[in-house]
Amino acid sequence: MHNLSEFLQKYHHWFIFLLLEVVSMVLLFQFNGYQGSVWFTSANAVSGKVYEANAAVNQFFSLAKVNEQLTQRNVFLEQRIQQLSEQLEKATGDTTIASKPIMAAIAGNRVIPARVISNSIDKQDNFITLDKGAADGIKPDMGVVGGTGIVGIVYQTSRNYSIVIPVLSSHSRISCKIQGRGYFGYLHWDGKSPRHAYVDDIPRHAHFRLYDKIVTSGYSSVFPPGILIGKIIHVYNSPDGLAYRCMVELSTDFGNLRNVCVVDDKIMRERLEVQRAAEDSIKNKKE
Amino acid sequence: MSIDFFKRLALLSLLVLLQALVLNHIHVFSCATPLLYILIVLQFSTAQPRWSILLWSFTTGLLMDIFSNTPGVAAASMTFIGFIQPSVLRMFLSKEKIEEECSPSLKELGWLKFVSYTFILTFIYSLLFCTLEAFSFFNITIWAESVGGSTVITLLMLIAVEKIRE
Repeated sequence: MHNLSEFLQKYHHWFIFLLLEVVSMVLLFQFNGYQGSVWFTSANAVSGKVYEANAAVNQFFSLAKVNEQLTQRNVFLEQRIQQLSEQLEKATGDTTIASKPIMAAIAGNRVIPARVISNSIDKQDNFITLDKGAADGIKPDMGVVGGTGIVGIVYQTSRNYSIVIPVLSSHSRISCKIQGRGYFGYLHWDGKSPRHAYVDDIPRHAHFRLYDKIVTSGYSSVFPPGILIGKIIHVYNSPDGLAYRCMVELSTDFGNLRNVCVVDDKIMRERLEVQRAAEDSIKNKKE
Repeated sequence: MSIDFFKRLALLSLLVLLQALVLNHIHVFSCATPLLYILIVLQFSTAQPRWSILLWSFTTGLLMDIFSNTPGVAAASMTFIGFIQPSVLRMFLSKEKIEEECSPSLKELGWLKFVSYTFILTFIYSLLFCTLEAFSFFNITIWAESVGGSTVITLLMLIAVEKIRE
């Protein structure tokens, strides 16, 4: 017994060594089959926390890149939604399926999706810059429509960009009508609130109510008829007392404009050309 | 529980974190990974009891396994070099020095002996580690490259650390 304890004392490190090696080998060979060994991997709480903290720091530094990727993805998805809802409308012929009545109004026209890359609402003459240009088929005088309503008219195009005169501009005059009542007028902006614009020249005999909707008339070649502009929230007498002047709350939030569509209304342009040709021929006859 | 114990514990935590967060992601020429945590074994002086060396090295190995998902590989290899460390150290020491407490530093051993001592343990460790790791996926070229590469890069880092501490 004494010999044994002496032996153990002298060679105890051998036993510890063998024991630890056996433990290691058990870990090594049993790892795959033994569920409990998850404790000895990076899935346990302590090492998990360390790696989590590390990942958090890494993530922070890659946020800018992630953000950029998400934005790209978002734009792609929004365009995809638009394409699909157009297809759905075409396939079913049922415009009530589409959740956006605005998109329904412009269905049938060629629509070019674009993104707003610069915008202002605080000046007298605001401009919007889009990331699509002549190369994408955009031409001056095309209408621009957002998800909730009308935006403006293309003013100039370069190869890859285009400038839009929005409703919020002193140069903007868009032909409009009161939906369902048929009275016409011109929409213009007074340069004050970006939420409100005015419709002049509604005749005094016109019957309409507050909160009636104002939509595009379709008389100009720019917009197809029936695109939402806003609703009447106030009615004044015109300065000369012969007509009404309506304050319109715009349905488009110009301060928060990201994705828009440029409407390429071929039929409209064709009609305008015919009209011009007719006017020319009358002039020639007169002469 | 001496101050020495806590110092060693601090070093252990530092090495484990450094290895898990930085060094494990280094693969020079896709083969050489620095295995700096064997520093904890290399440091033991002749006065350290062998059971203590074994427990320390096993713990370090186990922690490394936990962090790098290689259960048993580092633990087995670390235990082995923890076991042979006192013998290897004694090979490079004269009889008088073995009697007194002698730590394997560059100052005590001199360049040649220190590098040889570090090289032997690093090489044996890399050999064991790579062999156990490649157990189910054996490719002689990759294996030799990993052993050689890891030995060289770990040796260089250990010498650099020793030089800084000096």
